[in-house]
Amino acid sequence: MAAVEELSEPGSLSEEEREAVRHQLFRLADDEFVLAERYTEWQVKAPTLESDLAFSNIAQDELGHARLWYDLLQDWGAEESELIWERDPSEWRHSTLVELPFEEGDWSDPVLRSYLYDVAEDIQLRALQDSTYPRIRDRVGKILGEEDYHREHAASWLERLCEEDESRARVQDALDRLFPHALTLFAPTDEAVEDRIDELGIRSEPLVTMREEWLDEVVPFLESLGLSVDDAELPEQYDVHHSQLELPEHTGRDQSHTDDWFDLYDEFTRSYRELGRTSAARIMKDPDDE
Amino acid sequence: MDIEEVKQRAGPREFSPKDDMPEEYRKAATRMIQFHANSEIMGAYLEKPFIRQAPSLDRKLAFSAKVQDEIGHGQLLYRAAESLGIKTRDEMLDELAEGEGKFLNCFHYPMDSYVETPMIAFFVDGAAMRRQATLKSTSWEPYAHAMDKVCFEEGFHVKHGEAILYELMTGSKKEQEMTQEAFEEWWPRIIQFFGPTNDKSTHHGFASEVGLKQMGNDELRTAFLNAYIPKAEKYGLEIPDEPRISKNDDGTYEVVEEDLDWDEFFTIAKNDYEPGVGQIEGRKASQDAVEWVRESLDNHENRLYGSSQPQAAD
Repeated sequence: MAAVEELSEPGSLSEEEREAVRHQLFRLADDEFVLAERYTEWQVKAPTLESDLAFSNIAQDELGHARLWYDLLQDWGAEESELIWERDPSEWRHSTLVELPFEEGDWSDPVLRSYLYDVAEDIQLRALQDSTYPRIRDRVGKILGEEDYHREHAASWLERLCEEDESRARVQDALDRLFPHALTLFAPTDEAVEDRIDELGIRSEPLVTMREEWLDEVVPFLESLGLSVDDAELPEQYDVHHSQLELPEHTGRDQSHTDDWFDLYDEFTRSYRELGRTSAARIMKDPDDE
Repeated sequence: MDIEEVKQRAGPREFSPKDDMPEEYRKAATRMIQFHANSEIMGAYLEKPFIRQAPSLDRKLAFSAKVQDEIGHGQLLYRAAESLGIKTRDEMLDELAEGEGKFLNCFHYPMDSYVETPMIAFFVDGAAMRRQATLKSTSWEPYAHAMDKVCFEEGFHVKHGEAILYELMTGSKKEQEMTQEAFEEWWPRIIQFFGPTNDKSTHHGFASEVGLKQMGNDELRTAFLNAYIPKAEKYGLEIPDEPRISKNDDGTYEVVEEDLDWDEFFTIAKNDYEPGVGQIEGRKASQDAVEWVRESLDNHENRLYGSSQPQAAD
């Protein structure tokens, strides 16, 4: 890639640059937030007290990462509540992988979902380590460290669950269901903006290259556990021009979502609405706080 | 060791698994610690929906961390209970699922609204803190040891609850009214947290004599009211007229017992209170749904170490 110049401060970006940075940030922030929102469903419901503790930790890590990314989006004036609790659900950009609901007791799903996601996240974060946008670059290191542990956790659960036919069959079911949605992790928000993200050097690898890298890692691992990843066996899968064919109806990235997302959004914003905490009705600060 | 010797020696952290304790002591301690451990788990179950309902990222993180802490306390306490050699952790968890395990009265009432969360996180946790602080000097050393960590973390939980209460009571008029309404509903339950007066409490005598319990219900209730009535008022909550509470000259409080619904309290104590049964069964259903995972883990352990090994999940 040709040498690219470092981008300037948030306030001095051109409109096109700003749009590219924001698309990249929403990809990251929305994924982490919605995934964590789903993960916390397993708290008090995991198979053992120990797995409950471990999974809670992971959910909190992801929430923390979401906060780091939303924080950068606040550089342009929006508050956290506006970015999360007041943003229209049809404007979110997370992959559909992270919004799908869990079926009661289907522990194979969060474990597999975590694996598919964490490998992808690792690849995406490494492509941001040399970002031309310094505020993204500075935050990558901390997150990468925690993701290593998440991946190890997920992989070791998968290994165990795949030791036996019965539990492996459950993982296979989850894989059949989740795999097309996992591919949306690499789907574009908007082709032109994604190209700009690459041209500006906000990330160092285009989506298609990262997707290939992801397939090269997850497919052999899953197959080594006796699982079958049908689509991925086809060489076309690696052909960028087929990408649209393999994706589910909604990719999330392009702001089209499954009904489950809108239900989830309604649930997590319920208290916020009940308490009347919309920006328009925001009350004065307590004078004692000044 | 016979009971007489136990009573004579009964001091803080006096006994541990190295001692040969009489069965009566081990059973009483198991009952107490199991109750405490169950309460941690059911408290976590009660608060879990508010991880989702929390209206900001910080609050969401705090609720998730708190629920995680409670599960961790449960884990720690079941271990302390197991060390008495009466029941295994699996047996205790099964009893909880089957509706035989007892737990705190307040955790039998489901919460519907976010404004109820400080009732648990500030008042009930504050009340629990009072009791738990005294348990750092219980005579069963593993229990006291667990309390060191539990109390440390509970301190954060109470602050979390207090911050939410402050936020709600300095919020809109609507928020303040909703919070007052929740307080009125919860206040009698919170007073009952400490149980009936000492003379009516079935297990109090023996547990005190052998040093398991360090302070009676009455003393704890008084200490709690002394600290929390002013706090509630400071945040603008009005103390309901009932139960009638009067302050004596010596600083102790008198609660008019007949103003409280003891039928409900004892129905709860037997796990027969309808909404509470729903909580117990809801948790059981989610645990049954992942039984296949525990079986799979057991098989994994057995393949690795042979079937004689105790199972250790990840």
